[in-house]
Amino acid sequence: MKRVIPVFLLTVAGLIPVWRYHPSTGTAATTTQAAVPSAPPSPTSSSASTVASAPKVVPGTAASTVKGVFQVEVTFQGDRIASVRMLQAPHHPQTKWAIPVLIAETLKAQSARIDSVSGATVTSAGYRESLQAAIDAKGS
Amino acid sequence: MRRVEHVMGFPVSLRIDDEGDFDAVADAVFAWLREVDVRFSPFKPDSEVSRYGRGELAGGELSADLTEVLALCADLRGATGGAFDIRLPGRGLDPCAVVKGWSVQRAADLLTAAGARRYCLNAGGDVVVSGGPWRVGIRHPEEADQVCAVLAVTDAAVATSGGYERGDHILDGRTGRPATGLLSLTVVAPTLTEADATATAAFALGAEGPAWAAARTGCEVFAVDTTRHVLRTPGLPVT
Repeated sequence: MKRVIPVFLLTVAGLIPVWRYHPSTGTAATTTQAAVPSAPPSPTSSSASTVASAPKVVPGTAASTVKGVFQVEVTFQGDRIASVRMLQAPHHPQTKWAIPVLIAETLKAQSARIDSVSGATVTSAGYRESLQAAIDAKGS
Repeated sequence: MRRVEHVMGFPVSLRIDDEGDFDAVADAVFAWLREVDVRFSPFKPDSEVSRYGRGELAGGELSADLTEVLALCADLRGATGGAFDIRLPGRGLDPCAVVKGWSVQRAADLLTAAGARRYCLNAGGDVVVSGGPWRVGIRHPEEADQVCAVLAVTDAAVATSGGYERGDHILDGRTGRPATGLLSLTVVAPTLTEADATATAAFALGAEGPAWAAARTGCEVFAVDTTRHVLRTPGLPVT
């Protein structure tokens, strides 16, 4: 049932540039340059096709984890997230942290045969109208 | 067998497809979730969480369970640069976001220990499945009777955080204001403990959240931003 998925704008491949592990790169916690790939990164390259407004690139907060410091950079096209890439990722012996690769797609609405639904159905009012209610009712 | 009960403020659906009598463990699952509600609800003044939040219990007096939950919360706070925070000004101690995933995963572990091999446990939209593949829909953030993706999930958990049902209930701890940037964010992970915590924390991070969640070990991500576009990881098991 796979249909052609309209991949949204982004760059040629529709993929975020993949950041790869560089053993020689430092891990300075505050600089946003620590893990920029040595290849030309073209951070604002998401100007494909129809979008008129200039992309806005916003660095995220550097987040410390037990594995080290992560920091991402988000490129906005208007209010939309056009791409996300990693500015900093920790050194890690057995992985090149090929992250994050995110694919952009358009939002679809569908009703399909499913066994369960993930998504907040916290209030009973929400639950009554939810698909999960229909599934539960059908099964009883 | 199927069972639905309203526990911890949301509906919990259990479906077990194995042959056999699983009534006793189903009872145990719902009893455990009710126990969690009594012990960990920040809305019950006598709960352990409320008493700790008011300073009536010291760290050394806490149960092993709450100690474990608080450690998970502290990890997430560090991993998000403070965006995920269970101690926000004007709010009491509220570890709900972690308690839910953690407790429902433990309920699923009860099922597995009792010999259930093919089951689906859905607690207020957070799902743990065993066996499979199960077809788990991701609720469309704006159309409650529609899904925006269908996942084929085996032996894994799916959690979604969104602002669409309870309003802006997830705050960005860095600003104290409602998280912005995303309509919903779904995480598939080996356990619901990881999936739910990651989804909530990533939603609090906002625009940075999808990439942050994608960088977590074992996590696949599906996010809808406020302009109704999707960002997802290539490994997401979409059908």
